[in-house]
Amino acid sequence: MSLPDLAWQAVHARLAWGVVAVALLLSWPLLRERRTRLAVAIVVMAAMWLPGPASPAWWLGLAFQQPSGLLAMLCAASAMRRLGGRADAPVLPVPLALGLALGGLVLYADAVGALSLGLYAWGFDPVQAPVAGLVLSVLALAAAVMGRAPWAAWAVLLALTLHAVARLPTGNLFDALLDPLLWLWAAWRSVAALRRRPAAAAASS
Amino acid sequence: MLLLALACVMLGAACEWRRAAVAGAAPREPLLAVKPVPAGRVPQLQPRAGGLVPMPDGVPSAHASALTVLPSGELLVFWWAGARESAPDVSLYVARWAEGRWSAAQRVADRASLGRDLGFGVRRIGNPSVWTAPDGRVHVFLVATGLGGWAAGRVLQLASDDGARHFSVQRVLPLTPLANTSVLVRSNPVGLDDGGWLLPAYFELRNKYPLVVAFDAGGTPRWLSRIGRSTTALQPALLPVSGRELRAVMRDIGPSQRVQQAVSHDAGRHWEDLPALGIPNRDDSVAALRLANGGYVMLNNDTLPGGSPRQWLRLSTSADAQRWTPVLDVQRGVAGDEFSYPAVQQLGSQLHVTWTAQRRAIGHQVYDIAYAEGSP
Repeated sequence: MSLPDLAWQAVHARLAWGVVAVALLLSWPLLRERRTRLAVAIVVMAAMWLPGPASPAWWLGLAFQQPSGLLAMLCAASAMRRLGGRADAPVLPVPLALGLALGGLVLYADAVGALSLGLYAWGFDPVQAPVAGLVLSVLALAAAVMGRAPWAAWAVLLALTLHAVARLPTGNLFDALLDPLLWLWAAWRSVAALRRRPAAAAASS
Repeated sequence: MLLLALACVMLGAACEWRRAAVAGAAPREPLLAVKPVPAGRVPQLQPRAGGLVPMPDGVPSAHASALTVLPSGELLVFWWAGARESAPDVSLYVARWAEGRWSAAQRVADRASLGRDLGFGVRRIGNPSVWTAPDGRVHVFLVATGLGGWAAGRVLQLASDDGARHFSVQRVLPLTPLANTSVLVRSNPVGLDDGGWLLPAYFELRNKYPLVVAFDAGGTPRWLSRIGRSTTALQPALLPVSGRELRAVMRDIGPSQRVQQAVSHDAGRHWEDLPALGIPNRDDSVAALRLANGGYVMLNNDTLPGGSPRQWLRLSTSADAQRWTPVLDVQRGVAGDEFSYPAVQQLGSQLHVTWTAQRRAIGHQVYDIAYAEGSP
């Protein structure tokens, strides 16, 4: 296994939880003023660097450890778009949400012992996991260049680059692309999209 | 933007290539570190001395000990103690056995010190597992939970370069994708012939299954592997039989109420479940050890008619880690007593056994190891 340094993990956790918290707060409809949004973002990011239990990152780490690189990047994309006043389309596209939801279902079923595939251990494989990461990076690059869900494509690409370069957040390929909070988001997005499709089909017929 | 995206892909590929080149230069997959001994030797154990490990002043509750021997020959016992299980003041302690007596307990870590080192909170401190590497570095693997009970357990790796006087947190072992929760440790590692070791661990969120984590000689995790497919076995104790054959004996929460077992024929990489042993187990932790000059010992709880769980702690011996014979009562109490969570370590020609004594202290018993004349 190639694992990240503990000090780098601590820095990553504070930054990443800060970005996730900012994205969540900026999605609050009452925060419309751009300067207010900017102020909220700065205060939240600063709060993550408070010492010990005064930092929200202390408690978030206690409960969830660190967010995946992809959750952090998607939240960063969401926050940047809201700060720029361009929150017109969801940052998590349905195909990606479906892939994360289904992939997560298998990964978590394996993790709790319902299956016996050894998937999480595979995420540390010194050859196959890096090859899979590289293939996914190329796919994300292609999607970004072709303009298909470019924010999400960039989020995937940057999350994989962070994993390849610094092994953050844990050194496991799956932790770069998925965590329980992102899985919940992806599952909710998938279910919402699937429920809308029959309704849209009925309206058009 | 295209150039930036291409740069990301190239940078990632270059970093992975460099790592792969280093990994490719690594020597062969290590075997288990076992000294060849004549087959069929069964140890005979003679009780020598016993007592309790001194508790820290004013601390009423203790549980879950682990033993290790330093290169100097000093025996160490680690255990957690505090006001009660899961209390905020629970800390990890160590005591040293020298010249036939234990030193006073010294605090190794508590919630505050771990939180400072990790940068996030720790809710409970639990079982330790200890390994002294061939370079003399002492590694402690310690259960520390997140938000929730023991099923929210994570495994911290601490290390000491000065004979277990000062420890620093190395990492949280990444063992599950579920916010890295619900993996715990209990028994000690076994060594590999390249200086690395195999740490037994287990998952316990509803389903319970055992697993093993391999480390290199520097203490960096190498790989992890699930032990068998059972979902009712936990707290594996590892018994090296040969360079490749490794057996695991485990606590059982299934209907068989017998010690569970599994075997690996490639030094822990892959495992197959075996039928349960004939030794009773009603959700109690076991300890086991391969002795340096041949034979194996195992400690397990048994139940007396009309008695309570964990009142009877027994020691069994085996020549082959397959057929076991109970030979000694380490502790035999009355209903309501608890002598549980055994640990075992060899120091020269002596066997040291520790256990949780009534949840108030750590019990300790020394046995002389001998072999029958004429045995192979």
